[in-house]
Amino acid sequence: MLELNEAPAYFERYREIIPRFEEFLEHLKKPLPLYFRLNELKCPREEIVLKGLERQGVKVEPVPNFPKFYRVEPRDFPLGNTEEYYLGYIYPMTLSSALPVLALEPKPGEYILDMCAAPGSKTTQIAQATGDRAVIVANDRRLDRLAALVANLKRLGVASALTTIYRGEVFPYGVPFDRILVDAPCSGEGRYRQGYEGELLYQKEGHTNLPAIQKGLLVRAFDLVKVGGIVVYSTCTINPEENEMVVDYLLRKRQAEIVPCDYPLPHHPGVTEWEGRVFHPDLAKAARFFPHETESVGFFVAKIKRLF
Amino acid sequence: MKKRRKKIHKEAKWPRVVSLEERDEVLSFWEERFGIPKETFADYLLLSTAKNYWLFVKPPELRPLQNLQVQTVGLLFTRRVSKWLKPTSTALQRFGHLATRNVVELTPSELDRLRRERRLPFEAELEEGYVVIKCEGKVWGCGLYAKGKLISYLP
Ligand SMILES: C[S@@+](CC[C@H](N)C(=O)[O-])C[C@H]1O[C@@H](n2cnc3c(N)ncnc32)[C@H](O)[C@@H]1O
Repeated sequence: MLELNEAPAYFERYREIIPRFEEFLEHLKKPLPLYFRLNELKCPREEIVLKGLERQGVKVEPVPNFPKFYRVEPRDFPLGNTEEYYLGYIYPMTLSSALPVLALEPKPGEYILDMCAAPGSKTTQIAQATGDRAVIVANDRRLDRLAALVANLKRLGVASALTTIYRGEVFPYGVPFDRILVDAPCSGEGRYRQGYEGELLYQKEGHTNLPAIQKGLLVRAFDLVKVGGIVVYSTCTINPEENEMVVDYLLRKRQAEIVPCDYPLPHHPGVTEWEGRVFHPDLAKAARFFPHETESVGFFVAKIKRLF
Repeated sequence: MKKRRKKIHKEAKWPRVVSLEERDEVLSFWEERFGIPKETFADYLLLSTAKNYWLFVKPPELRPLQNLQVQTVGLLFTRRVSKWLKPTSTALQRFGHLATRNVVELTPSELDRLRRERRLPFEAELEEGYVVIKCEGKVWGCGLYAKGKLISYLP
């Protein structure tokens, strides 16, 4: 695990990419605000949840431009132990994690594949965004994580999803998907902060080659989506080798373009050059979100259209 | 300790789409027992595995999806328990707020006791059978009202 005093050295290689680098490092010392998404599928009257939480001494405020999202104070409040959580009225979720589905723009009646879906924060967000009327295939390769996904679908009362357990790289052809989300496994650098309990996967000695996995997932997603369809590729990491380089690989192999997208959080264009390598110019239309500018987990999002 | 969650099987089969008669039987039960109109479920298919009925969004075409090896499909909706139909708490939590009859309103302390002891002495002007359990505007799930007692089927 990366200690906080090692963070400056670790992130140094991103100094050119991360705006106001020193501010970023300072920001890692603070905990993130707490948010949840309110699940209107199960809770037709929002005030029941809001009043209920307020009675437990919590301050709850809607987040501008993020429909159904609320910010909670104090930020260490155990939302997961509440009745509201148990009944599936809320889904705790960091704000930037909502962006990939905003880019995806799923519609009722469409076939949607969530290729790396567990534990389901985005699957359930898709179900809500479509009023439980899209046909969602929620896939994850790990059985233990799929169990958590299934539990969340049940908790939130979602009837529009089926679950599968394929390796995304070999997900079978045959369903005419309109949109596919590839929320890829990544090194998770965007989550890192003081007291962070996870690990930065990329650093681990002898760890699997993440960029190779990510490329395999993205190319398969492209081949699965119908012509004219949308693939959203997202990670919660800063490393260009897991972001722009993966999308660049696709753009060179297939007839695809990046679609510009409006986001309700501050962001920066994707990089088009990294350590001497030049990427496809379209990558400037991808978006990078940084923790210190969004008060949330760092994210990368590219909305990709299949042209042919 | 055994985890109840591990109900996922590698070789789970695609549930079958029920016949129109069977669909009508299940949806009529919901309509008659709880006053929830059949049209509420117009956008959903009713699928079945063994004694379970699942609600799943109606896709433009089912055929392509049936080629996938699935773990779960949709939401567990209703079960067949001997000759009766029983709504699941999962489904009642989602649709129970639409119920117009056989709804039991409990106080927080009654709900507490029901969850702890699994039954509660209870008298009400209700037909015997399955009921929607509600407390302070929140639907908790399924109970059985019979012979002056309320029995919990809450998860
Ligand atoms: C970033 S997490 C997904 C988070 C999820 N989208 C959410 O919002 O709750 C990445 C997921 O990818 C899964 N995964 C890793 N390799 C995979 C592969 N080859 N195919 C499919 N899923 C994979 C992991 O098990 C993990 O659950």
